[in-house]
Amino acid sequence: MSTSAPPTEIGIHRAGAQRMGFFTDTSVCIGCKACEVACKQWNDLPADGSQSGPGVSYDHTGDLSASTWRHVRFIELLEPSPQLREEAERALTDGAGGHLPAIPAAGGVDISEGMHKLGDWVFMSDVCRHCTNAGCLDACPTGALIRTEHQTVVLQPDVCNGCGYCVPACPFGVVGRDDIDGRAGKCTLCYDRLEDGLEPACAKSCPTDSIQFGPLEELVDIASRRVAELHQRGIEGAYLYGAGDGPDEQLAGGLGSFFLLTEPPERYGLPAHADSPVQENVVPATVAAVAAGLLASAGAVVAFAVAARRSRGTRGARTW
Amino acid sequence: MSTEDRDIKPALGTRGEPGSWTAAEPGAPVELARPDFGDARWSYLYKSRDTDYAAAESPPDLVAEANRRMRGAPVSQVNGPFIHPPVWSGMVATYFWFGGMASGSAFVALACDVAGDHRSAAIARKVALGGVAPAPLLLIADLGRPERFLNMLRIFKPRSPMNTGAWCLVAFSGSGALAVGCDLIGRPKAARALGALTSLFGSYLGSYTGVLLACTAVPLWSGSRTILGPAFVATATATGAAATRLVLVASGLPGGHPTRRALGTIETASMLTELSISAVGERRLGDVAKALGHGRPGLYFRAAKTLVALGLSLRLLSRRTGPREHELASFLYLAAGLLFRFAWVSAGKASAEDDEVVAAMARDRRGPHDGPRRPWQRRALSVRRSPLPMPPALHRAYGEAVRRTSLVIERLVRR
Repeated sequence: MSTSAPPTEIGIHRAGAQRMGFFTDTSVCIGCKACEVACKQWNDLPADGSQSGPGVSYDHTGDLSASTWRHVRFIELLEPSPQLREEAERALTDGAGGHLPAIPAAGGVDISEGMHKLGDWVFMSDVCRHCTNAGCLDACPTGALIRTEHQTVVLQPDVCNGCGYCVPACPFGVVGRDDIDGRAGKCTLCYDRLEDGLEPACAKSCPTDSIQFGPLEELVDIASRRVAELHQRGIEGAYLYGAGDGPDEQLAGGLGSFFLLTEPPERYGLPAHADSPVQENVVPATVAAVAAGLLASAGAVVAFAVAARRSRGTRGARTW
Repeated sequence: MSTEDRDIKPALGTRGEPGSWTAAEPGAPVELARPDFGDARWSYLYKSRDTDYAAAESPPDLVAEANRRMRGAPVSQVNGPFIHPPVWSGMVATYFWFGGMASGSAFVALACDVAGDHRSAAIARKVALGGVAPAPLLLIADLGRPERFLNMLRIFKPRSPMNTGAWCLVAFSGSGALAVGCDLIGRPKAARALGALTSLFGSYLGSYTGVLLACTAVPLWSGSRTILGPAFVATATATGAAATRLVLVASGLPGGHPTRRALGTIETASMLTELSISAVGERRLGDVAKALGHGRPGLYFRAAKTLVALGLSLRLLSRRTGPREHELASFLYLAAGLLFRFAWVSAGKASAEDDEVVAAMARDRRGPHDGPRRPWQRRALSVRRSPLPMPPALHRAYGEAVRRTSLVIERLVRR
């Protein structure tokens, strides 16, 4: 697996710099949002209100945006896994083998039927992927987005003019443009902290070490072992999103911050496949567009020639 | 949320200025810093293998196999949001219209010159310059930080369509203004040469907007990457010809003049081309195109089609009546062009917000490992990102080549 971007794209050079990244293990995330708060505090990001309503759980943040660079997604699974249902059944009937007090039958309420309606809950601390093929970086017309010596993608706020092209160019819905500030914003992998030898604020604050920071190769190694461990424990659904893929199946060329997930990606609002839209589309789109432009000018010339010939014909004047 | 609701007092220093912080000892490391990011290392509770967090050894293909299985696993529930909808306002769609009109007029100017109608060509060049004049204003007004608009031109970046478009706008306006200047000071030959150059730039100015939209993650736009450019060029040619035709008529071009007839033909032909390209696109996209048929974008799209149909019938009708109907038809085409722009731009927002379509679009680049298709996937079967089946290795090499080429040119320009 190649985790290194071509060296030419790196805008800042420092000897001995490694590719740094995040490994976010959702299997140990408890949804405490410490990472969100730490990120807001360290990066001096404004509050952006609270969303509430049916189906949004205790999420309140809703989405990553220009002022939210870490976001804990609360995902309610309406269909519980068979495992969870089996566990619940056991707890109901025999107190899970004596570990739990058996739930007494309540008058008039069929608890076992309720168990079948039981949902599950997963959390995912979402963050910028720092992709190898970064759509935002390809799209940025001002060069405000750069690749650093840690091979992270950083937006320079003093250069960004708020054109908004990076927003739809990101295949993961990370970058946002702030309505009040006017500029785009996204996770910098705490570039300022990295320069001083500190780990990013979210990783520092994570109480369960669900967010781990380090050299990408080391993280991929830990994550692979974690997947193997979870498989051994019977959680067959554990997999990595953005790392450990074969060369032809990588997401955006490999992600600088990747995730351990236990459900199919669409449950977390993640696309099953993604790449930089610019690298995918710019050549065929430009060829078609410029060819059409040249054809249109040629067509105009032909239309004029035909009209001139026809009017000569009607007037009966023959010049050739 | 407005400015009043938001606490924008910075944690350090004053607003709008860099936070002033000085180390007690210059050059000294931060207090908590450990060499080689050591502060991250101590928090690796699991790394020293004193817990069974990651105790198992991972066989080589275990992770790749698990990823493949789960990324192809059937899904019954899709939880958005997936991608962010574009933040552009109606000013961008209006810019597309003006820029398109200008490039269409430049095509017409070239054609007039070739056909020998130099008077009309000079007027068409003025229309092109007049059409492109509001374009930078609209673009700047849509920026989040309008005062930094010149940052667009601080680099030349071929892989970013917005950057190349900004440069093309500069080139088009520059050569267009020079051409009109040469007309005014009585240098017709230079004006014609510059007019031809302007029309060359116009072939990119009128079409790059389609490339710009195609190079996004929005399913509707990226799915129609090969039809957006041609469709936008068709609208550009139609509106440019219509605008030039109206100005020429107002400037006293006699009725029955071949230029008038030719312009009428160009308008009608390009509007029909735009309609057929859109129809082909809608068919090819399947469910992804439903953003073009519903809500406000659908309204714009239907209204545009109606106006084109009205214009066409007026053209047919006016064979028997007077020239007034021809003029009215040109106005209808201009309005239809604007509505087409608004339809395509606003439909992109609707498409990006449709989580199921975004998820299905990502799934459709599927390999043989994928599981059976669920109904929500099957609906978008007709979406193929690449009309040419490409082996993955070639696909990767191609993406890499795009980036490398751009970087090489960027570096050359910088020197």
